[in-house]
Amino acid sequence: MAETVIEVENLSKLYRLGTVGTGSFRQDVQRWWTTAILRKEDPFFTLSGAEDASESKQFLWALQNISFEVKQGEALGIIGSNGSGKSTLLKIISRIVRPTSGHVRGNGKVSSLLEVGTGFHQELSGRENIYLSGYILGMRKDEVKTKFDEIVAFSGIERFIDTPVKRYSSGMYVRLAFAVAAHLEPDILIVDEVLAVGDADFQKKCLGKMRDVSQSEGRTILFVSHSMQAVNNLCDKALWLNKGKLKEYGEVTSIVGKYITGVQQYKLKQSWSKPEEAPGNEHVRIKSVELVPHLLDVNAPLDIRTPLTVKFELWNMTDDVLLSAGLHLFTYGGECIFDAPSPATQCDKGVVKGECTVPGNFLNDGSYYFSLIILKNTSVSLFYYEECLSFDLEDYRENIQWYGKWWGAVRPKLPFRLEQTELVLQ
Amino acid sequence: MSANNKKWDWEIQSRTSWMGSRLDELWEYRHLLVGLVRRDFLLNYQQTVLGPFWIFFQPIMTLVTYVLVFDKLVGIPTGTVPPVLFYLAGIVLWNLFSDGFNGTSATYRENAHIFSKVYFPRLIMPLSQLSTHFMRFLFQMILLLLVIAYYLVFEDVSISVGPWLLALPFVILLTSMLALSLGLLFSVITAKYRDLANLVGLSIRLLMFLTPVIYSIDYIPEKVRWIVLLNPLTPLFELFRLSLLGEGTVTIPQLIYSVLFTLFLFAGSMLIFNKQGDKLIDVV
Repeated sequence: MAETVIEVENLSKLYRLGTVGTGSFRQDVQRWWTTAILRKEDPFFTLSGAEDASESKQFLWALQNISFEVKQGEALGIIGSNGSGKSTLLKIISRIVRPTSGHVRGNGKVSSLLEVGTGFHQELSGRENIYLSGYILGMRKDEVKTKFDEIVAFSGIERFIDTPVKRYSSGMYVRLAFAVAAHLEPDILIVDEVLAVGDADFQKKCLGKMRDVSQSEGRTILFVSHSMQAVNNLCDKALWLNKGKLKEYGEVTSIVGKYITGVQQYKLKQSWSKPEEAPGNEHVRIKSVELVPHLLDVNAPLDIRTPLTVKFELWNMTDDVLLSAGLHLFTYGGECIFDAPSPATQCDKGVVKGECTVPGNFLNDGSYYFSLIILKNTSVSLFYYEECLSFDLEDYRENIQWYGKWWGAVRPKLPFRLEQTELVLQ
Repeated sequence: MSANNKKWDWEIQSRTSWMGSRLDELWEYRHLLVGLVRRDFLLNYQQTVLGPFWIFFQPIMTLVTYVLVFDKLVGIPTGTVPPVLFYLAGIVLWNLFSDGFNGTSATYRENAHIFSKVYFPRLIMPLSQLSTHFMRFLFQMILLLLVIAYYLVFEDVSISVGPWLLALPFVILLTSMLALSLGLLFSVITAKYRDLANLVGLSIRLLMFLTPVIYSIDYIPEKVRWIVLLNPLTPLFELFRLSLLGEGTVTIPQLIYSVLFTLFLFAGSMLIFNKQGDKLIDVV
C-alpha cells in the first residue's frame, strides 16, 4: 500500500476582516497581554465558540476542521465554489500562511505553483528569469542548468530568450513561466488554477505534462480547478470544500458528480405566494421565476446540450399598460451574453406569464445567471430583477481528445463541413 | 504503522517558531540569494548611462558636497587628516549602514506579492539586500583605498596605521549587523503599520547627525557628547577612521557597549522577524 505523504488534521484558519487601522495596534497589545502574559483565553477569538466567531462580522473562518490524507502518487483534486477555502488550504500546505489551529504533516519536498511567473522581473531577459524563477521555486543552480534547454524548448520562445520579458506578449510570458514550473521535480506538487491563462494548445501541453508527472513518476499532486473536466481527468481523489468545511472526500467521479448536482440546485426556481413579499415595486411584482431544463432524467446534470426554458409570472398592478420583458444572460464574471426581448403585450391588472427557451448546443460550459427586466412601452424600465436564476452548465465532449477549457462564452453547434476534396496519389 | 509514531519530514502548525528557518534550509536556498543579488545588480545598471560607475559616482558627488559645505563653508575641523579622506571614510561606511538598513526595511512591503505565492525562507530576501549593498560597499572601499594611496604617494600625507587595522573587518561586520537588525525590525513594523515607513527615511537622516560622519567626536562639546556616545555606531565610525587613517577616539568600554547593543538587537530582531513573518502574510 502506498505511503501517506500528507496528513492534514483538524486544520482551521481564521481571518480577521476589515482594515488594520487605528486601534489594531492597541488590540495587538491587548491580545498579547492576555494570552502571553496572563495566559488567559484569547479575547478576540476562541475555537470553542466557533459559532459565535463565524457570525461576527469581524472574523471569517476560511477553513474549519479539515482532515484528510494523501497517499504517494495520488492526484487529489480540490473543488468548491468561490470563497470555499480552496486557495487558503493550498497556501497552508505550501507554508505560505499559518493555520489558526490544527496541523499538516508531510514527507518530501513540496513545490507550489499558485501563480504563473512568481518572481519574474519585467526588466530581465528570459534567460535570467528562468534562473531566478527556478531558484524561487526551490531549484538548485545545477538543476536549472541541466534543464535549461528543455525549459526553453517547452516554452517555444527560443528566439526571444535574451529579450527582456517586458517586451514579451502575455502568451509568451505565461508559456515561459509555466515551462519553468513544469520542470520542477518535487515529491509533492501543488497547483492552483493557473491553467486558466495561456492559449488552448499550451494548456493541453501543461495538463499532459502534469498527468505524466503523477502517473509515471509517482509524484503526488494537489490540484485546484473550476473545470470539472480537468479534475475528472487528472485526479484520482477529490475533496469538496464548502464554505471552509469539508463536504465530501472520496473517489473523483462520485465527488464531482455530487458537486455538480449540489451546485445545480442553486436558484433554479423562486416563487412567492403573496405580492407583498415578492420582489418588485408598485408597478409589477415577481410571482415566480423558474429554469426548466429539457432533460429526460431529472437528476442528470445540466450540460451544454441541454435546452433551457425560463418561465416567469408577474403580478401586474396597473391597468391598460403595454408590457414587455427582457431576459439578460450573464456569465459568472458579469459579462452579458445576450439580451433577449419579448414581444410587447397590452395588459391589465392580474398575472402575466412569460416563457423563453434557450436552445441546447448553444452556450459554453460555465456558470451563468439570468436577470429579468420588465419594461413599459418597450422603453421605460419598471423593474429590474438581477440574478433571478443562476445555474452551471457542465461540459460535454464527444470524440474530442482534448480536456482544456473551451474558449468563448458561447459554443454554438453551427453547420460546419470538412471534407477531403483531393487525394495526392503517391 | 500508526500515524502518531511515524516520522515526518515537515510539519505545519499554528505555533510559529522563534527560531524561524533552520540554517540548513537557508543553505538550500543559497542559489536564490546569489540570483537575487545578481538581479539587483543587473537591474541597477541596465539601461543607465554611467552603468556600474554609479557605485563610485554617488560617493564622489557626496564627497564634493561635504568638502564644499562642511569644510570650506562651515569649517568643521578634521584634525590632521585631509578633509577629503576624512569625509570619504565617513561616507563609505555610512552608505553601508544606511543602504543596508533602508534596503532590508522594505522586505515585507516590496515582496508581499512573492511571499504570498511561494515559500522560501523569508530571511533570504533581507540577506540578499544586505549582500548587494555589501558588495557595493566593497567597491567603494576600493575607491577609498585608492584615494588614501594617492594621498600617501602624491600629497605627502603621513598616515600611521598600526595594529588597529586588524579591527577593520570587525567594524564592517558590526555595522552590517546593525543595519540588518534595524532593517529586520522595521520591515515587520512597517508592514503592519505602513505610515511608519516614512519614519525609516527620517530616522536615517537624523541618525547621520548623531554619528561621526561629518565630524569627529573630539570636536563635540563635552556637555552633549554623551548623546553621540549613546549611538552604538559612534565607536564603530571612530574605529573605522582610526584603523584606516590613524586618527579616531575610541575606548574599550564604548566598543563593548557597541558589541553588546548590536548582539542584543540582532537576536531580538531576528526573533521578531521569524515570529511575526508568517502572521504578516495575512496582513500585507
